[in-house]
Amino acid sequence: MAIKTLSIKGTDSRDVARQAREALAEFQPKLLLFFASSTYESPEAALKEAFPGTEIIGSSSHSEYCNDGYTSGSVSIMAMDAGSVEDVCVRVVENIGAEPDLRDVLDGMHGYFGGVEEILANYERYVGVVLFESSAKAEEIFMDRLGTVTDLLFVGGSSSTADAGQSLVYANGRSYSGAAVLAILKTVNGYDVLKTQSAHIFSERKLEVTKSDLRSRILYEFDHRPCGEVYAEVLGIGQDEIQNYFVCNPLGVVAGEEIFVRTFNQIQDGGITLHCGLPEGTEINVLKIGNIVDDTKKALDEAIRTPPAGVINFNCLYRTLEILNEDQVEPYCALFGRYPSIGFSTNGEAYLGHINETSTILVIK
Amino acid sequence: MIQTVITQKAKGNVVIANSIRTKMYLKGIAVDKFTAISPDDPATMQKVREIAREFGVIV
Repeated sequence: MAIKTLSIKGTDSRDVARQAREALAEFQPKLLLFFASSTYESPEAALKEAFPGTEIIGSSSHSEYCNDGYTSGSVSIMAMDAGSVEDVCVRVVENIGAEPDLRDVLDGMHGYFGGVEEILANYERYVGVVLFESSAKAEEIFMDRLGTVTDLLFVGGSSSTADAGQSLVYANGRSYSGAAVLAILKTVNGYDVLKTQSAHIFSERKLEVTKSDLRSRILYEFDHRPCGEVYAEVLGIGQDEIQNYFVCNPLGVVAGEEIFVRTFNQIQDGGITLHCGLPEGTEINVLKIGNIVDDTKKALDEAIRTPPAGVINFNCLYRTLEILNEDQVEPYCALFGRYPSIGFSTNGEAYLGHINETSTILVIK
Repeated sequence: MIQTVITQKAKGNVVIANSIRTKMYLKGIAVDKFTAISPDDPATMQKVREIAREFGVIV
């Protein structure tokens, strides 16, 4: 077996690591990916001690998924051996709020595998994973820079927290705040990346962002008019009602067949804050939220035609709360129970850019 | 100009071409809005030139 998945609840991180070591006694993971409830202290150190020869990356989490289960206060682990991941290169970029130049980092990662030419020649085998510590709120700039210096597809999400604990990302025995963990996987049998947002176009009317503050994630104007006024006009509601529609009617950048969701935060400073900044010039549509279970099933069934080695689900915390609210946890998790899979409730998702209210999914064949 | 950036950067790889198109959308260029006969928009053209420079593409 090339991939094993575990869901563990322990008395502490050392207990979790001990249970993981026992469960993987005959298994030699090349890469271990974990999502640990933020209630655990230093899970990265305990896991590194238990698996000293393994590349280990992870994130703190609000809640975790593993196969057909949804839990909180647990650690979901995916262990990948050389049968599924031939090699992996892990790097950490710290202080991402300072918008670091990523060229040297990516040049080094490309070089680890023999250079860009090797990667492009075997493009179907190489894929990136990115884990953001979410407090920096710099994911959109980082993903833009990352997409400039590499043609590899990176998929991932941003850390979250339970009621207790700290938002962190982890790599090889250390924890990081305000950082991004990057991993390039050389898969044995290839991969697929999919994205499902369960959001559909509400209005075909295109709105151009004519005034915004990308870094502060504030939206001011559509088509040279106050954005709240235009948003209310599209929905056919009063301006004083718009906050009631923020969750059900987010915004979306529609790129061909793909929708990249941007969710609202709150009305502030004469504008509306978002959970992902929008550059001026961007055209957006107002969206409506659909059925998460139905849309996720459709996306998975269309993309996964043969049994995969493993599936990693970066599922927006909003979506987790929505399926909890709608009592849809069981049917949602049943979709992922068809595969060896892990996931967690994210504070933002990554695929080509930073996204909200979406599930980004890496399928390892 | 937009298509030139996509074509040169993708070097024939369809997956990369699609991802470059999407990246341009996310940078604020509504790719499908512009065709070869669209009137020149100086602000958009400047933006595309900057993107091309970032990508290491000559337009």
